[in-house]
Amino acid sequence: MFRTGLDYMGLVVAYTRANIRAQMEYPGAFLSQVIAMIINDGAWVMFWVFFFSRFRVLHGWGLPDVISLWSVTAAGFGIANAIMGNSLQLAPLIIQGELDVWLSHPRAVLPHMLLGRSVPSAWGDAVFGYAAYVFFVRPDLARMVLFIILTFGTALVFVGLGILAGSLSFFIGNASSLADEWRNAVVMFSTYPPALFQGAVKWLLFSVIPAGFVSYMPVEALRSLSLMYASGALLGALGILAVSAAVFHCGLRRYESGNLISFNG
Amino acid sequence: MKEITKYGWIAYITARSHIAYAGEVFTRIVLMTVILYVFSRVWLAVYGVNSGPRLAGLTITQMIWYLVATEAFALSGPRTWYEVEQDVRTGRVAVQLIHPLSYGLTHLGKAMGERIVRFAIYMLAGVVIALAIAGPLRWTASGLAMFLAILPLAFLLDFLGHFLVGLCAFWLESVNGLALIYTRATMLLGGLILPMEMYPAALQPTLRRLPFASMVYAPGRMFVDPSGAVFFKAFWTQAAALIVFLCIVGAVQAAAFKRVFSNGG
Amino acid sequence: MTRGVEIKELRKNFVLKRWQGCRRIASEAVAVDGISLKVPEGQSVAFIGPNGAGKSTTIKILTGILHPTSGDVYVAGYIPWRDRRKLAYQIGTVFGQRSQLWYHLPPIDTFDLLSRIYSLKRVDFVRTRDSLIERFALGGFLHIPVRKLSLGQRMRAEVAASLLHRPRILFLDEPTIGLDVIARQELRDLICEWNREEGATVLLTSHDAGDIEQVAERVIVIHHGRIVVDDDVAAVRRRYLGSKILRVQFHETPREIPFRGMKLIERSLHEMKIEIDTSVISAQLAIARVLDAGRVADLSIEDPPLEQVIGRIYSQAAAAGAP
Repeated sequence: MFRTGLDYMGLVVAYTRANIRAQMEYPGAFLSQVIAMIINDGAWVMFWVFFFSRFRVLHGWGLPDVISLWSVTAAGFGIANAIMGNSLQLAPLIIQGELDVWLSHPRAVLPHMLLGRSVPSAWGDAVFGYAAYVFFVRPDLARMVLFIILTFGTALVFVGLGILAGSLSFFIGNASSLADEWRNAVVMFSTYPPALFQGAVKWLLFSVIPAGFVSYMPVEALRSLSLMYASGALLGALGILAVSAAVFHCGLRRYESGNLISFNG
Repeated sequence: MKEITKYGWIAYITARSHIAYAGEVFTRIVLMTVILYVFSRVWLAVYGVNSGPRLAGLTITQMIWYLVATEAFALSGPRTWYEVEQDVRTGRVAVQLIHPLSYGLTHLGKAMGERIVRFAIYMLAGVVIALAIAGPLRWTASGLAMFLAILPLAFLLDFLGHFLVGLCAFWLESVNGLALIYTRATMLLGGLILPMEMYPAALQPTLRRLPFASMVYAPGRMFVDPSGAVFFKAFWTQAAALIVFLCIVGAVQAAAFKRVFSNGG
Repeated sequence: MTRGVEIKELRKNFVLKRWQGCRRIASEAVAVDGISLKVPEGQSVAFIGPNGAGKSTTIKILTGILHPTSGDVYVAGYIPWRDRRKLAYQIGTVFGQRSQLWYHLPPIDTFDLLSRIYSLKRVDFVRTRDSLIERFALGGFLHIPVRKLSLGQRMRAEVAASLLHRPRILFLDEPTIGLDVIARQELRDLICEWNREEGATVLLTSHDAGDIEQVAERVIVIHHGRIVVDDDVAAVRRRYLGSKILRVQFHETPREIPFRGMKLIERSLHEMKIEIDTSVISAQLAIARVLDAGRVADLSIEDPPLEQVIGRIYSQAAAAGAP
């Protein structure tokens, strides 16, 4: 069990190295995408800087808190797509039958397929998330360690959502635009203080649009250094990942029986 | 005179074909709804702890309607930068270089056609959403006239900005990042969410003189709280910016074309 | 348990859902309609058949990607769709239109990654890899990104990649598609060599007669999901085309030749190309008639091209069993 864990770590490293090397074939494009994403995220942070210079608090949350939301979300999203870039585009892979290549390997399809690509701009998100947290929040050692752990948890949420959204393609055909919209909604809601939302919307934000597990619980854990919130966030992440893996394998069985809507023999 | 009708025709055709892009429009309307919803919650919180119904002279209803106008502007941006980049990439630009002036005007016609239709659609959607969230605002004929009058130059300036970004494809491998930076800068420095009055006092004089505020803030302001003084100030800024932009575009275009001819197209 | 391939009464139906007006109609399409065959270890087999005949479906079932509707399949002793991962160590697959080489990286990097994926021992991997590099002549472009390689180079690297883990069975789906004449020949030679020297089983699908003639010992023709022909290559050529091609060159203009059972295909001043229908007249008699017609400078007799044979098999099968 431990050996398989180590083996998988080795594989993750090997894939990530291969991905980085592939990106470095076009260093200019890679760097410009990273920088553009940093600037993009930075623009939003600047907005909040302006906002809080005028309004001090929002539902009791100040600038460092909102920056924390941004940092966790950006870093989690960045890690997810820098390492498992195919979580962003599972749908086209399935539709175009590229699963077959992964199915010909003696390994579990899902993790290997996910590891097969790295999105350059995601590195920008990851760098930004960490830099913003360190610069604006100035955490102590305990919080920094917790931040690192929680960003990996958030990454798992994004990977899980990507798998779920992509797996829809097993059932309803090309769902990539739906997947993109869903992802954008999650990212959006994750970057606003949860206190803004009440009632039914709040429930939504812990289920269909799980911003709650992406950033709300992690940031609450960081604010009050609470182990309870931290474990809640991580458990939620693992739960989402487990559900998504199950849905994927359900869809994979369908794929393997050849009864996709768009099949050409 | 014939030339102008030709470009007018291009604008009309583009406008008509653009109505077919229903999917993208729908997506953006959903995005607009989410943004309006989220920020209605934000302003509720802010105004909730404010003494009195006005902040920087605006009521909460006006703040939400302000966002309608600025979002409609933001969402209706043209794809000119991408089209110019494609022209450069595919070498099509060499053919169109025979009449450099017509090259810019062709893109202008296309962009304006797109812009006007999309802006109208998003304004309409925004009106419906804002009516549901915040209730109606009291508009005056003169106010609406000022709103409509401030738009043409705003659109033109934004087109020139996008066109300039596209021209950079002569030097850069990909202008994707640059386009993102340009749009972010426009929104951040132009007052997409916060009207100029709410920016840090130290920054306001500079920001008001930049063209971005005259593109984003000015229409928004005319829509919710029209003021002759602000109108004229914005209008002169637009005019001045227009001259500057035209000079820059002219110079860059000349340099770009020289590059094409020296590289053999 | 056999080390090769064994198929018993394989059937595969697909449910096609189509929209007709407002209703969704489900219809069943039969892709594979009762295929049975045995491929002993070390044999090289070509599957041919028109598009939609069921050969890609069969290959997908054999490699574990697809589940059949019914029937038994054993590949290297495994049931493919049940033991896909264990089977993957025993088989290599080359899809002509899909690549397992990373597009932006040089082939050597994909090789390294594959060694990890297949958990190959470093020593074994290096030995196999270096031997493949030498035999497939990859040295010249091993460190060049795949996107910069010619299709021929890419396919050589692709096949080499599929052999890194020394599979016992190699599946090739249209491997020579899009290649120029020289590259095609090179690839065929390499596959042939691997089949002969390693004793590995080779199953390939192709539309190219040359692939079949040069790589395969055995030809299986699939049409409408059924096996129409299953024989060795020479026999297929001989039996399914009851004809021979005779070329003759005379020293001077020949006398009239009685062409019963023979058909003149080409004629120039002193040369003739004649097709002999061996069901009407024996080759011996035909040659005798030709020799009688004048002084012969050169004469050769050969089998008709496989293309012709295949074409005729398709049309025979269509005429016989078309539903």
